[in-house]
Amino acid sequence: MTDVASATAVDAAHTRQPERPNLVAVGVIVWLSSELMFFAALFAIYFTLRSNAPALWDQQSELLNVPFSLLNTTVLVLSSVTCQLGVLRAERGQVGRLGTVFQVGKWGMREWFVLTFLMGAFFIGGQVFEYAELAMHEGLTLSSDPYGSIFYLATGFHGLHVTLGLIAFLFLLGRTYMTRRFTHEQATSTIVVSYYWHFVDVVWIALFLTIYVVK
Amino acid sequence: MKIEGMIFAIVTVFFAGVTPVYWFMSEDPTGTTALVLTFGLGAMIAFYFLLLSRRFPPRPEDRDGEVEELAGEYGFYSPHSWWPLAAAGAVSMVFIGLVFAWFIFIIGVALAAMAAVGWVFEYYRGEYAH
Repeated sequence: MTDVASATAVDAAHTRQPERPNLVAVGVIVWLSSELMFFAALFAIYFTLRSNAPALWDQQSELLNVPFSLLNTTVLVLSSVTCQLGVLRAERGQVGRLGTVFQVGKWGMREWFVLTFLMGAFFIGGQVFEYAELAMHEGLTLSSDPYGSIFYLATGFHGLHVTLGLIAFLFLLGRTYMTRRFTHEQATSTIVVSYYWHFVDVVWIALFLTIYVVK
Repeated sequence: MKIEGMIFAIVTVFFAGVTPVYWFMSEDPTGTTALVLTFGLGAMIAFYFLLLSRRFPPRPEDRDGEVEELAGEYGFYSPHSWWPLAAAGAVSMVFIGLVFAWFIFIIGVALAAMAAVGWVFEYYRGEYAH
């Protein structure tokens, strides 16, 4: 009996959570700020080239399919909302749904993240379609002119980030299926992946406004 | 976290002042873009740290506390792992492949996928399964 009591006391001391910010979350925010500087280089290239060749910009930006890209952008922005709904479930420790698949209100973290994944995949599919249209029908390629170079570099590096985010979602979902309990570590991963996703979303809004709206 | 937040708030305020001056004096799009996003870098961290400083009580190091108050569980951290080395090797192959030959790139991507899976699921399989 004494053994049990002392073991409980040790466990209680061991699992005490210090009341301080999550170190992983702080680290991810600092890393994302450095990612912002990576995209700063791409934005700087874009504005530099544009100021040197305004005529080329007038001509080539006409090739873009703005309504299609607006649809794609809307899906990506909404995927941030569904991602956050998943995080709210994860913070409550609710990993799976409590009702059927059609009872959206009872969805858990998994269902919201699967939906976010599908929306992100839709965005990437849309981008691939857009690239194919521009490259094959309009003749805009990475090496055709400065506009093509920076258009594909900027949107391509962003697309690469979205793709890596999709892979992170798969890993995250895989982890929830591999354990019997939804652990604190998994909740932390969920939160930091959502930070990354929101960040990539905000970068896209800036890219969309720069490339498609302001031209 | 308030001190850390204030440091980045100073960075933010500095670039908020410097950026418009730079633009009006030089009209240089390259530097202005870099300055605007450096402002963003500071603002992002300052916002998050100051948010945390409101959400959590002052930490022991914020209020001249005792060392022992820092004890407790901080989360899960791997004690040691070979997977980061495998990942670094695979990513090196990816970039070497981009420069020299596509077949190296493809092998590198496959190895990187294996390293990523090994790294992410290291503490979820075998004797660590929970």
